[in-house]
Amino acid sequence: MPKKNKKTEPTSETNIALLNILEDAEEEKQKAEEEKKKTLSIITNFSDGLLVFDKERKLSLINPRAENFFDLNGRDVIGRTFLDLATFPTMEPVISLIGSEMSEIFRQEAKIKESLVLEVSLISIIGGKERTGALIVLHDVTREKTIEKMKTEFVSLAAHQLRTPLSATKWALKMLIDGDLGQLSSGQAEMLEKTYQSNERMAELINDLLDITRIEEGKYLFKPILTEVGPILQFVVRSYQEEAKRRNLDLEFKRPEEKIPRAMLDVEKIRIAIQNLVDNALKYTPSGGRVTISLHCSKKNLEVAVKDTGVGIPPDQKERVFSRFFRGANVVKMETDGSGLGLFIVKNIIEAHGGRIWFESEEGRGTTFHFTLPIKEEFEDFLKEL
Amino acid sequence: MAKKILIIEDEELLADLLQKKLTAAGYKTFLATDGERGLIAMRELAPDLILLDIVMPKINGLEVLAEIREDKNLKKIPVIIISNSGQPVEIDKIKELGARDWLIKTDLNLQEVIDKVRRQIGS
Repeated sequence: MPKKNKKTEPTSETNIALLNILEDAEEEKQKAEEEKKKTLSIITNFSDGLLVFDKERKLSLINPRAENFFDLNGRDVIGRTFLDLATFPTMEPVISLIGSEMSEIFRQEAKIKESLVLEVSLISIIGGKERTGALIVLHDVTREKTIEKMKTEFVSLAAHQLRTPLSATKWALKMLIDGDLGQLSSGQAEMLEKTYQSNERMAELINDLLDITRIEEGKYLFKPILTEVGPILQFVVRSYQEEAKRRNLDLEFKRPEEKIPRAMLDVEKIRIAIQNLVDNALKYTPSGGRVTISLHCSKKNLEVAVKDTGVGIPPDQKERVFSRFFRGANVVKMETDGSGLGLFIVKNIIEAHGGRIWFESEEGRGTTFHFTLPIKEEFEDFLKEL
Repeated sequence: MAKKILIIEDEELLADLLQKKLTAAGYKTFLATDGERGLIAMRELAPDLILLDIVMPKINGLEVLAEIREDKNLKKIPVIIISNSGQPVEIDKIKELGARDWLIKTDLNLQEVIDKVRRQIGS
């Protein structure tokens, strides 16, 4: 550190000025050093793993946390190119997740080993107008994943356990109602019928719970076959006719005029999706109303619409319609039963087919749910993208 | 002669109801309350059809099914799985092991169970 020579008398003002500048520069340098140290200590002690790549896609920085994740020493990897790093087995999942383009990603999961799941984000470093590098942030989500898995397994197990006693009750009640165990008085029969209905609702709720845990487990049964959607719509409409009559509603399937091509569908799941939509429409349409199901076809998609003249969805609640456990404030008043899982399940089913779902609704006038299902060729493209 | 049905089910009430309903429908029923007894019973009785639960003590339904498949005398007997699971993985496994049909207990009422039996072996 150069020191000001106190013994030297300033010979001129220029000299003093020069010394001052030197002193300032020294101070700045010190500040910069301190800043650098600070930044370095933040990076070193950062709880997330960090990787920095330069313009040539060579690794220029790896912090201790990342070294720890990948179980390797920075010395061995610094200076290597992005793709080169895939030769290290622990880094390979991250490299292949990001891909050779090194495009930006946000919180995507990579499983490094059995006991380590990382959430990976890539952020471009921009200098001026061009990209001068990339920052990769690695966040350990192993604990969250484990808890999530335990939760799913618990719900799934609980639901199975709950079904067994319910089956027994269901069968026993049915036998009593059917008079298999002797004739009942009309009062007894009525009470047992109500009990049976409650039991059925409970079973449905458990089925819904199982369905969502399966969606979450990623195990949701999905076996597409090339088939027509029309008969499925017809089947559902027919099975709900009695219910519609009971509610004094008109339920109709408008047959399409054009020929509808077949599509790759998981019949069982599509039936569940349509049932959920029709069931909702019937439940939330006042007596005297109408529910219409229609089917159209565009170049790339089949489009199904379920239109009702029901109570509609309040505007301030439209965004939450597809989230799980959501039920509209107005419908809760009409019908206390309902798990709020139906539309969440429907959305998952449609999206698993590569389709899209949306709705238009006016409070007090009615709601129309639309969903699309891609025709075969589009569906194959969709699968490729997966 | 009445056709013989072997029920292998550990849940007492369910088994009892099944027996009552099937008997009323004109079948002769036998009950085994676990997989081990089920295997012994089917070798002795040579039933016309087996109703088989999956989650059971000692030997579970999947193991019973696998053993039936290995035995050339038993493998001709149609098996209907009665389960509460309905997990896709399990259903795949059941089909692979050659069961004729499967049903989820809570989804069906007893009459529908009888209908399924009738479809396999007639009255």
